[in-house]
Amino acid sequence: MGAHLARRYLGDAETEPDPLQMPTFPPHLGLPERRPRVMVASAEQLAEARVPLEQRDFCAHHLLRLLRCRRDAFPLPWLCHELRHHWDSCQHHDYVMRMKEFERERRLLQRQKRLRQQEA
Amino acid sequence: SEMSKDLLPGPYPRTPEERAAAAKKYNMRVEDYEPYPDDGFGYGDYPKLPNKSLHERDPWYQWDQPDLRHNWGQPMHWDFDMYVRNRVDTSPTPVPWHTMRNHFLAFLGTMLIMFVLGEFYPSYRPVGPKQYPFNDLYLERGGDPNKEPPVVTHYEI
Repeated sequence: MGAHLARRYLGDAETEPDPLQMPTFPPHLGLPERRPRVMVASAEQLAEARVPLEQRDFCAHHLLRLLRCRRDAFPLPWLCHELRHHWDSCQHHDYVMRMKEFERERRLLQRQKRLRQQEA
Repeated sequence: SEMSKDLLPGPYPRTPEERAAAAKKYNMRVEDYEPYPDDGFGYGDYPKLPNKSLHERDPWYQWDQPDLRHNWGQPMHWDFDMYVRNRVDTSPTPVPWHTMRNHFLAFLGTMLIMFVLGEFYPSYRPVGPKQYPFNDLYLERGGDPNKEPPVVTHYEI
C-alpha cells in the first residue's frame, strides 16, 4: 500500500498525483465518451432526511431507501440487509472509480513527462 | 490527655547528656538519634529519620497500627503525613531512574518526530478525492444562494 507514497516522497514526485490537487487534466482527455454522473436523490429529499453532508454523495438514493427500511423495521436490522448490500455495493463502485481516477491521473502525468523528455 | 513538659519536643541538644535524654524521650538508641541541624528552621531536638515512605515498611509484619505500619511509641517522621500510603511513595524502582528517563525520552522523541514527519509527508490511499453532487454541495456547505455557484461536473470512469 505504500508504493505510491515511496514513489512520491523518495522517488520523483513529477509522475505521482497529489490527491489534494486532483484533477489537473481536462476530464475528456483520452476519454471522448464520458458520461456525467447522475444524481438520483434530490437535494430537498436529502435535506429533509437530515443526511450528514459526508453521505450526500452519488449513492445517497440507496442510503435513503436503507434509512426508510431501518425506520420501518426497527428493532430488527436483518430485514434491511439487501438494501444495505445495494448501498455498500454502490459505495464500492464509487471507490473503484476513485482508484481509476487516480490511476488515470498518474498515467497522464507519466505521458506528460515522456512528451516533455521527447521534446528536449 | 495532658502530656508532661518532658515528653514534648524541646530545644536543640547541645551536650551529650542532652542528646542521650532526647534519644530516650523519643524511644531511640543514642547511636541512632540524629537531630535536624540547628539552622533556624525550628526543628529543635526532633530526630531526623530517613526519608522513606510507609510503602517500604514490611507489609506482613504485625504492626500495632497496620494501616499506618507504625508501632506504639515508635518515633514518627517529621513528614509522616506525607509518607502515608495514600501519598508519596519512595519505594525503589525496578530499574534505575536515569534508565527510565532515557527510555521515556527516547519513546517520546520518536513519537514526536514521527508525528511531525506525518505533518509534512502525510500518508494517503491511492485514490482520487470523493465526488459530491450539486456543485460539490455548494448550498449545503453554506454557499450564498443568490450567487452563481462554480459549476462542477463529475464523470463516470
